[in-house]
This record gives sequence, C-alpha cells and structure tokens, in this order.
Amino acid sequence: MSLLLNSTFCVLQRCMLRAASLLVPGCQREEWMLEWRSELYYACKSLISDGEFSWKAQGEILAFCFGSFRDALCLRRQFRDVGTTTPRVHSSAMQCLLWLSTVLALCAILSRLLPGVHAEYDTVRHPVRPNVILIQGADSNDQREPAVSFAQFRDWKTNRQRYFDGLAFYRSTTESVSLSKTHSSPFKVAVASLNAISLLGLPVQPFNTQTEDSEDIPQVVLSYETWVRSFGSDSHIAGRPIHVGKITARIAGVLPCGSWRLPASPDLWLLAPDSQIALMVKDRPGYVLAHLTPLGQASMTSDSISIAVRGASDNEPSIFGVLCSGCSQGPWQIYLFALVLAVLALPAVTSVSMSESNFSSHHPSRRQNISRWLFLAAKLTVVSAIAYFASLDIAYCNTDTYSETAELVQFIADFSICLFGLRWALMDQQNRCPVCLRRVTHPARVGIVSQTFLGWNGTEMMCIGGHTLLHVPALPTSWFGAQRWLYLDTSWEFLFADLPS
Amino acid sequence: MAADPKLSHTSAMILQAIHAGFIYGFSIMEMTGLPSGTVYPAMRRLERDELIRSQWERQSIADNEQRPPRKYYKLTAGGKMALESSRKRYPLLERLFPAEEVKSV
Repeated sequence: MSLLLNSTFCVLQRCMLRAASLLVPGCQREEWMLEWRSELYYACKSLISDGEFSWKAQGEILAFCFGSFRDALCLRRQFRDVGTTTPRVHSSAMQCLLWLSTVLALCAILSRLLPGVHAEYDTVRHPVRPNVILIQGADSNDQREPAVSFAQFRDWKTNRQRYFDGLAFYRSTTESVSLSKTHSSPFKVAVASLNAISLLGLPVQPFNTQTEDSEDIPQVVLSYETWVRSFGSDSHIAGRPIHVGKITARIAGVLPCGSWRLPASPDLWLLAPDSQIALMVKDRPGYVLAHLTPLGQASMTSDSISIAVRGASDNEPSIFGVLCSGCSQGPWQIYLFALVLAVLALPAVTSVSMSESNFSSHHPSRRQNISRWLFLAAKLTVVSAIAYFASLDIAYCNTDTYSETAELVQFIADFSICLFGLRWALMDQQNRCPVCLRRVTHPARVGIVSQTFLGWNGTEMMCIGGHTLLHVPALPTSWFGAQRWLYLDTSWEFLFADLPS
Repeated sequence: MAADPKLSHTSAMILQAIHAGFIYGFSIMEMTGLPSGTVYPAMRRLERDELIRSQWERQSIADNEQRPPRKYYKLTAGGKMALESSRKRYPLLERLFPAEEVKSV
C-alpha cells in the first residue's frame, strides 16, 4: 500500500515539475528540468525513510514541487527582461500592427456613429417581401404613371384571383403637412390601403396602432428619409398627431431605409380603409401592389409578368407587372467584389513575389519564416478590414440615408484602399528584416551607374538590429534583378549598440 | 554590477549558506529554512548578477554512487565581496551557518 501511495505521489510530483517546465523558456527547459529532478530525488531521499508512506513527508515534497512554479516564472521573467533590453519597438512588427489596429478601431467606431451606415445595413436587413409586383396597365410603358383606377382595384379585390393572394392600392399626391402648429410643408403623401405596408413585408418601427385614442384616427407611416430630414431622427415620434391636408392623423412609425423605390416615392403613407380611399381619390388612377401566388410566380419572366386579371365582368384584362425589389447588394457584397478586383489588379502595381535571394549561406529559421508569414497575413487582414470600414465612412460621411451614389463611392473607396493598402503591405514586407521583422533603414547609395555592368549599384539599407543588409539594385540586370538580403554574422555585433549582450 | 550591491536578507543568507559549504539547492533550503519557491528564484537572480556560479557534478561520480548528478553552486569573487558587505549589514549572519570546508566538486 505504501509503495502504491509513494508511486502515485511520485508521478504527481513529476507531473508538477513537467507542468512548471512549460513556463521556462524553451532554450533553458532541459537544464532546468534536470536540476529540479535531481533536487527532487534528494528531497525524497531526505524526507522519506525506508520507503514508508507519510502524509507529512509527501506534503513537504509537494510544497517543494510547488516552488518549481515560482522558480520557472522567475526564469521566464529574467529571459523576457533580457529580450526587452533591445529597442524592439522602433519600426517593429508589433508597432506596425499596433498602428494598423488603432486605425481600424477608429474607422470601425466612426462607422458605428454614422447614420448613413446604419441605413445601408437596414437596406440589407429589411428587403421588400419576395414576389411583390407593381401592376401597371398593359398599354402603359411608363412605370411611373399611375394606371389603375380605384374602382378597378376594388373589382379585382372582390374577385378571387389566380395569380395574386394580396392586393393593395395607393395614390400619391402632394399635400401640405403640419408638423407643428406654426410649421407646415408640402409632402408627397400616399393614400394607401391598410395592408399596403404589410404586403410589402416591411417592418414599421415602432408600430403602435393599438393606442387607446387612435382607433378612428388614420395612421401615418413615415419614410426613413422623411423621418431623418424633417423629424430629425426623433425616436419618440410614434403617436404624435399631424395634419395631412384636412385630415388629422397619428404617426404610427417609420419605414426602414431601403434600396427599393416605388413610383412617386412617397414621403408619408396615409393608411386608410377602402371606403375612405374611394372618397379621397375618386376616379383618379393610382398604383396597385400585388403579391404573387405560386401560379403567378411560375408565370414570371425575369423581373416582369404579363397576366390576366379576373374582374366582375367576364372579361379578363391583361396587365403588366414588374417586381418591386431593391438593387442594393449590401456593403459586404460590394466590399468582397472590390477586394477580389483589387487582388486581381495587384500584380499590375507591385511585385507580389516574396521570394528572397541572398549571397550568404544563412537562411532564416523555420520559426522566423512562420513569424514572417503570420505577420504578413495579419497585415493583409487588418488592411482589408480598414478598407471595409473606411470605405463606409467615406461613402456616408455626408449622407444620412441610403443612396446609390453612396454605394458607388463605397465601391470606389473599397477598391482604392484595398489595392493601395495591399500594395503597401507587400512593399513594407519586402523592406523588413527576415530575422527580426523590423524595417531596414539608413539607406545609402552604393556604386555608380557605370558599375552596373561590372558589379552592381543601388541602395543599401540595414536592419538596426544588426541582422541583415538589404541591397536594392538601381537598375535591375540579369545578374542582379531583385533585391537581396545579406545576412550578417555575429562578428558584426559590436557595431550595433542595441543588440542584446 | 554595482561595486557594493545591496542584498536582501534572503540573498545574504543564501550566499552565507553557500559560503558555509551548503552548495546545492536542497541543502540550502534545509539550512536556511526557506521554501523552494524562495531559494531557487533567489539563486537564479544571484547567478544572473554573477555573485554565484553553478556547475554540474561529473556524471561519472553520480553514476558510481547510483544517483543523479547535482548542480553545485559556488561564490564568485563578486559574491564574496557582496557577502562581506552583507555581514556588516547583518552581523548575526555569520553565526547562522558556521563556515566549513567546501566539498570538492
């Protein structure tokens, strides 16, 4: 039993030492482990007598093993202190990533604050319901012209349709809207069926139609642009009464910003029952929105449809409908497209070759190579992320709502920042010491042009850590076409005061 | 290294223990009564400051006695000077561990 317990504790103690050794820098671990195992042997020999198990002795040995953690941490600290005596921060990879991360954070914060960016996200988040079409007369080629009378709409609505399972009518007129007792402005007001907004599948925020005193008062839904422009993006606007012409209505909410555009682009949607609409619009034509049934969807050709509508009389007039859908791809799609284009265009503006040639026998270690590639990957990632946020900031710095122009600006900014950002990242990488990843500095002209045909002439730069020299030819030749790294051996160290001793 | 380094009492005790002939980690622990988590890191610092130096016991000696080799610590010239100045600061230090002949390594 004693043997078993002693063996168990022995394994536990060795595991503790092994765990502590993980804290020790790799280059010192083996010797550290040797010393501690040796000391553990003598500690056990001193405290355990004749192989008998003793809780007290094992407790003392465990306490001894716990000390290994403090010792390991001490060694680790010492190792780090030696490392930080060199001026590694200046032009270092860490400094570069720190700067890029700061720029990224600033761009991201700015994009969070811009209302236009929120509006663009909304266009993606709240698209128009699929398979909603705008009906226009078969003989009308101009979509912007209203073509359907309200009587015709009511006739269609009362008959069961094969191609539609929902119909809504609206007519847009310019009305004077009183925003306050003293202030009124002309707005494009759409008098619309009660189901117009729900047929479009757009959420209205906040939609409080169930207020106590609003049962008999018509509801008004504001477009996002009107809410921003005329109501100063007031988030407590719901429930406020306004006068639309001679009608008193109550604001029900705000439509989300969208890339969809309905004819007449109404500023306000005055939702009213059919009986009221009939009185307001009389015989004047309006627009009809319809949601297609599966049969209707099967009849679609690209984004338009030509179908027959059942009316009260037996004739089935042929009508023409076009899909109501936005053209926005969303910021992410635009960004990805611009990024792909920039990557394709990159070889045209810089050398993408990361190969290095040198005329010394030294090669960077595998770890140094991995560090280099990781640093390059990190740089490319952060630059790409900066392009995404910065392009949104540029596109929407002066616009509070979604616009196609802003999307175009965003695409151009995305492409430009990606292209020149990636170019900078590659060029920066080519000027970084393969050993310590610091930028080479102190450029010096070497040779004269006439020596090109004998040796080389160009610019020599050096790593301030004393690891390498970079030779960049002024005139690429067949024997010296690309830049070369010259690795410096330890005999050069005395020249560099900031090297660790 | 400073000409007259100011050592903590723990470091002075360790120097005195090594000077007294307790020349490996566990024996220093036993003599000073300090825990391993104090003694070993202190010895690392003393070695870093070149007040002591370490040396592994020859493998053949350890093999003959069927035990693992030990790492022995020894005072450097700087360590001896530092110990002298510490004795002035901590007069009772010398009485803690009477010096004995250092074992040959």
